[in-house]
Amino acid sequence: MEAQKEAQRIMTLSVWKMYNSRLQRGGLRLHRSLQLSLVMRSAREVYLSAKPEEEELGPQPCLGEDAAGRAAACPGPQAPEERAAPADRGNAPGAGDPEPMETQDGSGDSARAPAAPAGRRPARGVSLPPPGKASRKRRSSSLDKPGAAEAGLVPTKKARLEAEEEEGERQPQGQDGPFPSLAKVLQTRFSGMLRGGPPKGPEPTPGCRPGDGVLSILVRAVVAF
Amino acid sequence: ETPKPPAAAAVCGGGGSDPVPAGASPWWAPQPPAPHTLRDMAGVAGGGGGGGGGNDFQWCFSQVKGAIDEDVAEADIISTVEFNYSGDLLATGDKGGRVVIFQREQENKSRPHSRGEYNVYSTFQSHEPEFDYLKSLEIEEKINKIRWLPQQNAAHFLLSTNDKTIKLWKISERDKRAEGYNLKDEDGRLRDPFRITALRVPILKPMDLMVEASPRRIFANAHTYHINSISVNSDHETYLSADDLRINLWHLEITDRSFNIVDIKPANMEELTEVITAAEFHPHHCNVFVYSSSKGTIRLCDMRSSALCDRHSKFFEEPEDPSSRSFFSEIISSISDVKFSHSGRYMMTRDYLSVKVWDLNMENRPVETYQVHEYLRSKLCSLYENDCIFDKFECCWNGSDSAIMTGSYNNFFRLFDRNTRRDITLEASRESSKPRAILKPRKVCTGGKRKKDEISVDSLDFNKKILHTAWHPTDNIIAVAATNNLYIFQDKIN
Repeated sequence: MEAQKEAQRIMTLSVWKMYNSRLQRGGLRLHRSLQLSLVMRSAREVYLSAKPEEEELGPQPCLGEDAAGRAAACPGPQAPEERAAPADRGNAPGAGDPEPMETQDGSGDSARAPAAPAGRRPARGVSLPPPGKASRKRRSSSLDKPGAAEAGLVPTKKARLEAEEEEGERQPQGQDGPFPSLAKVLQTRFSGMLRGGPPKGPEPTPGCRPGDGVLSILVRAVVAF
Repeated sequence: ETPKPPAAAAVCGGGGSDPVPAGASPWWAPQPPAPHTLRDMAGVAGGGGGGGGGNDFQWCFSQVKGAIDEDVAEADIISTVEFNYSGDLLATGDKGGRVVIFQREQENKSRPHSRGEYNVYSTFQSHEPEFDYLKSLEIEEKINKIRWLPQQNAAHFLLSTNDKTIKLWKISERDKRAEGYNLKDEDGRLRDPFRITALRVPILKPMDLMVEASPRRIFANAHTYHINSISVNSDHETYLSADDLRINLWHLEITDRSFNIVDIKPANMEELTEVITAAEFHPHHCNVFVYSSSKGTIRLCDMRSSALCDRHSKFFEEPEDPSSRSFFSEIISSISDVKFSHSGRYMMTRDYLSVKVWDLNMENRPVETYQVHEYLRSKLCSLYENDCIFDKFECCWNGSDSAIMTGSYNNFFRLFDRNTRRDITLEASRESSKPRAILKPRKVCTGGKRKKDEISVDSLDFNKKILHTAWHPTDNIIAVAATNNLYIFQDKIN
């Protein structure tokens, strides 16, 4: 439990740092971003392995098919066993709904290219087809280019909740570089939170267990790495 | 305000301890380098190298440069320090893009105390902030590295780089001025040609020494990522520049072209697992260079083997000690600096907690490992919170390769004597800044009862970090950058 709390704290911290790193002069630093993602991944692994038996995931659209594409797991709703096996990642057989794309495998997921910007998610209640290799490839090949959203390659229809957060200020400096979409995702996801502290107001998704609402957002923010 | 690390279980070790044997092999014991070999190669004159390093010398305060203000302007923070090949010039670069060069005073009977003092020789603005319009990114003007070129004529040349652009600067002296022009007055006003009735030959007259710095070459637009290293080749014609994913080879005369010699960018950025953190040419073999990675590995490449050196000739990696794994194991193993020894036989790497000396002939583990501040291992979480865990410390050799130096926190820096295995911790502070005052060794208390004069880990000031240090190429003079101040220490014998 202690380890889990610590891991959660570190994950939160890491996301915060990732967000802030966009704002520093000189742009996103690849090395720093990579290091943050490594810590994030270690913490996530500890968190997942420490989490006791979880109920099977329910219907988990959960804003989950996140822009991230490869976003880290949403630990709450999903059984740790499923997550633990690398082979299962992303397939979530029992769920029918692949919760935020699991990271592919241990070695490759530390730094991720920009994945889809914050537009790509199904309407709530609809599950994506299990992300097989083919769909991943397609996603990455078309979406790792900066400006994919603007090019109309990804759906821009956003879930209802997101619209509330969109009114946040635009980022002061269009920080792009190697992870252009990270900026967008973090901006939309966290503008509310980062402005006002811990999130209050409507739960992100009715589908998620309420207690994990915050965490699921945080964890899903491991975009692009 | 710096969050203090939580009071955690004490970690024994730290200053004064013996170097830890690398790896888990019980049969391994750190072998001191063959002393005769190093001394032969070094050929050090004067007070350098012959004896031990840290403890056999008496390090004295010599000078401090920079403002005393408590309020430090970010632009004044020193970001690189480098002696030139003779040691007569000492260059510093700062976050504001400025380069300041100090010159060592010649021995002067009328002012005996000023012998060996470094005074400002030249100051110039090397880089300015720029804006990349395509990516909407600001390019910092911070000088990441300065490297001197070997001197070939009266002028001095150095390379300075920020994140994206490398510049070759010429620093030259002018101490004569031509007078007696026909077409213009002494103040430079043009003379009316009709007024000229006689011709004269201009003559050279002495003038006050003026040191001019001019940019001779600008090497731009070759790096997508942030430049972390530059290194001048022993052929004195080429140099390399390294960013997170690529290393480029330049010719000093040619600015519109560079050769890419290492490219570790994966086709799919999602598969990125490591970046290049430092690179350096071998001091004698112009075809050999090394680069270190964020995973704690070093690759040695030979440019003769292929045009693109993606396949290393040697791969240096120490197996990880599984018992010390933590959330942060991966990031503290990232190498922040790599430096060849002057002899060319060894190289030294700095990671967050230690310095390792590698024999180029042995790839599977370092020959020596020195703990810089092992007491921080239990504080890694706090150091992650306050971002200190990302600090990139540099390291350096002395002229004879018998000692190495690196920085730490609280304005402490550490010197290790490779022969005697002794080490010393010193502090760069205004308090111990009396001329020729001998520096008192410092000790960090890692647990239990704190002795007098010891400082506890929790009292360390993590805002006062010494990232950049330089050792004179032949003498025992060291330059230590403490935020916005440059400290120069000398061995008493000097």
